Amino acid sequence: MKARISTEWLSGCSGCHVAVVDLHEKLVNLAEHAQFVRLPVLADEKGYPEADIGIVEGAVRSDHDRECLLRMRESVKTLVAFGSCAVYGGPSGLGWLYGKDAVMETVYREGPTNAGGPGPDAAAVPLEESVVPIDEVVPVDFYLPGCAPHPYFIAAGLGALLGGKGTPLTEKTVCSECTRKMRKRPGVALRKGAVTAEEPDVCFLSQGVVCLGSVTLNRCKAPCPAAGTACAGCAGPSLDVITEPHLDLRNLVATRMHKLTGLEPSAVKAYFEENAATFYAYALASPVLYKKPTVELREWIGGR
Amino acid sequence: MITVSIDEKACVGCSLCADACPTGVFTFDAAADLPRVSEPRECFGCLSCSEICPATAISHGELPLSESFYHDPYALRLAGLLTGNGGPRVHVPEDRAGGLADLGVRLLSVAWVLKDIMGNGLPVVGTIAGRTLANQLPRYQPPRNLPEALELARREFHPAWELSARAEGDSLSVEIGGCVLRDLCAREKVELGGELCVLFFNYLGGYLSHMGKTRLKPVGATRGAERCAYQWKRVD
Repeated sequence: MKARISTEWLSGCSGCHVAVVDLHEKLVNLAEHAQFVRLPVLADEKGYPEADIGIVEGAVRSDHDRECLLRMRESVKTLVAFGSCAVYGGPSGLGWLYGKDAVMETVYREGPTNAGGPGPDAAAVPLEESVVPIDEVVPVDFYLPGCAPHPYFIAAGLGALLGGKGTPLTEKTVCSECTRKMRKRPGVALRKGAVTAEEPDVCFLSQGVVCLGSVTLNRCKAPCPAAGTACAGCAGPSLDVITEPHLDLRNLVATRMHKLTGLEPSAVKAYFEENAATFYAYALASPVLYKKPTVELREWIGGR
Repeated sequence: MITVSIDEKACVGCSLCADACPTGVFTFDAAADLPRVSEPRECFGCLSCSEICPATAISHGELPLSESFYHDPYALRLAGLLTGNGGPRVHVPEDRAGGLADLGVRLLSVAWVLKDIMGNGLPVVGTIAGRTLANQLPRYQPPRNLPEALELARREFHPAWELSARAEGDSLSVEIGGCVLRDLCAREKVELGGELCVLFFNYLGGYLSHMGKTRLKPVGATRGAERCAYQWKRVD
């Protein structure tokens, strides 16, 4: 009998659902072993049919999200937090640092395109006070972060869940699949802002550009550095950052850049703190970061 | 003997492992652009190389795992479920009873000494300790009122204490089911209602007052072998 898969889309961009479609011809293989009984981007199923595997995209932002998630949890046997929003809160996790009122005020009353507008009326779904990852609301059985998760890992993860010859997903960082070579370049200056690096085969850190590859879990197969863009950390922190209280994105990157280029660690850390909303964008709302003694997101970014 | 292996496909050739190793386990083979494990017997498992490696390319076998008392259970579970089998390379002891018993005896001694020094001032020590805790946690989503503070306390004190609260008008009652201190007192044959109970009652009161942005005046406590109940009155 085919396994039944049900998916749900909370506060997210639908990119994770589109990533499922990116399985391409593997969808045919998947269809031999499973059927989708609920799939919001493709089919109009408003109920929550019983299913073996539940896949949830997006964070919990509103009362509506919470209700949908609870019904999803009740209707499925195994629940997967799918994509960085579901696992860590994702970019919308920034709302976690601010109260609901501050967010509404900024978006609907102070925003340049609708300043002075009436704002949403009472019929709109109420926002919750903050944004949280889904495991703050219900127990989660598996986590597949990524923005969106790469189809390779979706296939591997679903394969394992469907009882095929699934292999455990890699524990390594993005650097492990990066084709650039990390070199010592004493004297290189720290290059700030949205910049790339001249040498296409040499690591960004060696060239003074901050890249999060070494502190990010590989759920992407490193396409960004191959295309000339430093890693933005979209799949969330690497396992050492998650499990070790003293390790953090900024101190690990600062130490590595210091050893490669001689850059002062304090300068790199200061740059991280000034731009914390960017560097910590994908996992702001997760306790794995905000509970760390060295991470002071609220002091760096602001908020309430 | 500890074994060290390098995933050559993952390695990015930075040579930071060779720099970091305090005992010279690695030499860097510039021609192959790879580190080699040339002195494996020198490894004593400090994991400096693993920590600096950007590509998570170094792994160790036969490591004597140290018992972990400080790792966050949430983080360990998340790390395990992110990979399906991997996650933390730490050993979390299943049975912490030995350590807890030892800690418990010391805690009782500290409470006796405090009572000896402070006399009638003992409750204040508890209140200040509770307020101090409230000041430290949580820094990001502090509760806005007493019900939120009670809910947070229920989560944060679990599983060492099982708290359930009932508020009516200006009176607050907190029932305590499971309690590590009660277990400790039973084990060490210490009567209920002693120094530790006084300290904890006021500790909880100090914590809840500060977190719940209210003033709680202790009214009374009933204690039993299975459950205890603490009462406060709101005076603001």
